[in-house]
Amino acid sequence: MAGIEAVLLLALQAILSGILVGGVYGVLSVGLSLAFGVMRIVNFAHGELVMYGMYAGVIASRNFGIDPLLILPLSFLLLALVGAAQYQIVFRHFVGHATLQQLLAAIGCALVLQMIAQIIFGADARTATSTFTGQYVVFGPFFLSQAQIVAFAVAVAATLGVELMLRLTTWGKAVRAVADDLEAAEVVGVNSTSVNIGAFALASGLAGIAGTVLVTYFPTSPSVGFSLMPIIIIATTIGGLGSIGGTFLGGIFCGVIQQVTAMMWNSALQDVPLYVLLLLFIAFRPTGFFGVRSE
Amino acid sequence: MEAPVAMRGTPPTSSAVRGRATARTLACYLLPIAIVAALPFIPFVNNYIIAATVRALIFISLGQAWNIVAGIGGQLSLGHGVFLGLGCYTTGILFNRYGIPPWIGGWAAMLLSLAVAFVMGSMTLRMRGVFFALATVAVSLALVQLSRHFVDLTGGADGLALKFIGNSLWAMQARSPTPFLYAALAFVVAYYWITRWILSSSFGLEMQAVRDDEVAAAAAGVAVFRTKLLGFMLSAAMTSLAAVLYMQYYMAIDPEAAFGLSQAIQLQLPALLGGLGTALGPIVGGAVMVFLSEITNWGSTKIGVEGLDVLVYGLMLLVVILRAPNGIVGMVFKNAVARGSR
Repeated sequence: MAGIEAVLLLALQAILSGILVGGVYGVLSVGLSLAFGVMRIVNFAHGELVMYGMYAGVIASRNFGIDPLLILPLSFLLLALVGAAQYQIVFRHFVGHATLQQLLAAIGCALVLQMIAQIIFGADARTATSTFTGQYVVFGPFFLSQAQIVAFAVAVAATLGVELMLRLTTWGKAVRAVADDLEAAEVVGVNSTSVNIGAFALASGLAGIAGTVLVTYFPTSPSVGFSLMPIIIIATTIGGLGSIGGTFLGGIFCGVIQQVTAMMWNSALQDVPLYVLLLLFIAFRPTGFFGVRSE
Repeated sequence: MEAPVAMRGTPPTSSAVRGRATARTLACYLLPIAIVAALPFIPFVNNYIIAATVRALIFISLGQAWNIVAGIGGQLSLGHGVFLGLGCYTTGILFNRYGIPPWIGGWAAMLLSLAVAFVMGSMTLRMRGVFFALATVAVSLALVQLSRHFVDLTGGADGLALKFIGNSLWAMQARSPTPFLYAALAFVVAYYWITRWILSSSFGLEMQAVRDDEVAAAAAGVAVFRTKLLGFMLSAAMTSLAAVLYMQYYMAIDPEAAFGLSQAIQLQLPALLGGLGTALGPIVGGAVMVFLSEITNWGSTKIGVEGLDVLVYGLMLLVVILRAPNGIVGMVFKNAVARGSR
């Protein structure tokens, strides 16, 4: 039965590329999850930070001829600065409660950041090229994009780095202490203000890294942040708001479902099963697979 | 005859004082209505000004509907475009395909919105507010994809254009914006009074109690989940009815204009700018929003930069939330808002 074999191969191909794409969705979402876990802030402008990371890659590649992958540390720093500024101006007023006002303020930030990008870079889609863009690996019967493999590797490394930093360093301990119980952490001498700024900057820097690797195979435009936000939200909710590893796995899960839907059913409706899943998770398991309790 | 009454220090319940106050309040309500209604007869007012006024009135109605769930109920529906889109598409499709006039199609749209709000609300309103907000975003974005995909039904990404059959009351169509001015004005007045009525009803008090402290409200015997769900459904129904007006006036709808997040933000701004949870807020806020967006649109064509209006929306949102959480009405009528009477 060649028919079944072909379908199976197609499914496997979809799962493989889903894992690769999903890893990047994971690192896109980890920052949002971190900010929520530590400060209970849902940053709807996270997608816009990713978008600036993407433009950093475009500028490196188009204006300076540098491979976007080489400027990853720079885009981390740049976006960490933007994030710290965003925290100082807006989010420090809302630490501790994901209120209506906080969500709306985040949307305001998103609109402002998006329009500033549109005024600076124009509304057209832009691309960047790295050494791996457009290259493919033939792996048995499967075709895999080299740019996606490299992006996946960067995503895994960045997520692992953050997870280790939170687990092993003193600063990481302070962050986790604030996440668990702000007042208790302050009592034992943790300066929650500086921890919060640091954590928010780290979350934003991660968005920068994610954006810069993403742009090696995905074009950017000022509205790309808005279009990435649903997948970020879904990966975070399914994986678990506040859990770094869980969110990353949630991203991979989303990537696989999306690619399988696209290849086996219809690529125009590739995200619809994800929206349904999100609703089901919110109704029956709002903490996702690994989330912190949100009360 | 009135002076001695006042000198005796009677509380202002005497009929004379109350009568004067009522007359003043009545004038406060009737004057703006009269001015808007008289617009077409003022010499220098052209169709451009009338069109901008209609736009403001439509967004005031939509904002007033959103204000019910978000302002009074405290549930942040970020995807209220769902009900705007359902209203527009349902009436449009029913008219284009089956010739059913919006007079009937509008009620079909309202029933559909009620059903969708019921399902969405039942699934998500038991959870904390963040999840409800995320779910509404998810549903609206799913509808963007679905409406792009089912081209036969919705016209796909190009959108759906209403068949124009000339001036017709039956089809709610007109060449000039003036009839829509009166229709939209009627909506604004009706929605204002509905909001006033809700604010003073026990249902409205329950909604506000849930908004301010869910646990305390539950302890006081409020059925929290049912209150949230009813508020959401009421708001959805009002949005989809106002959407009929939107559709008949603009004659076209596309997935982004219906379900997109930027549209959802335009539905929220009137209440946010004017003052969340007040009946007057969306009216003031909607007028300010449309006025500012007309100016920035004019400005951005002058200097050739696109997107200035959205930038201004974003800045307005931030400034209001950080500096004036009770909106314009909150700044002007501090005490009245505290009493919840506006």
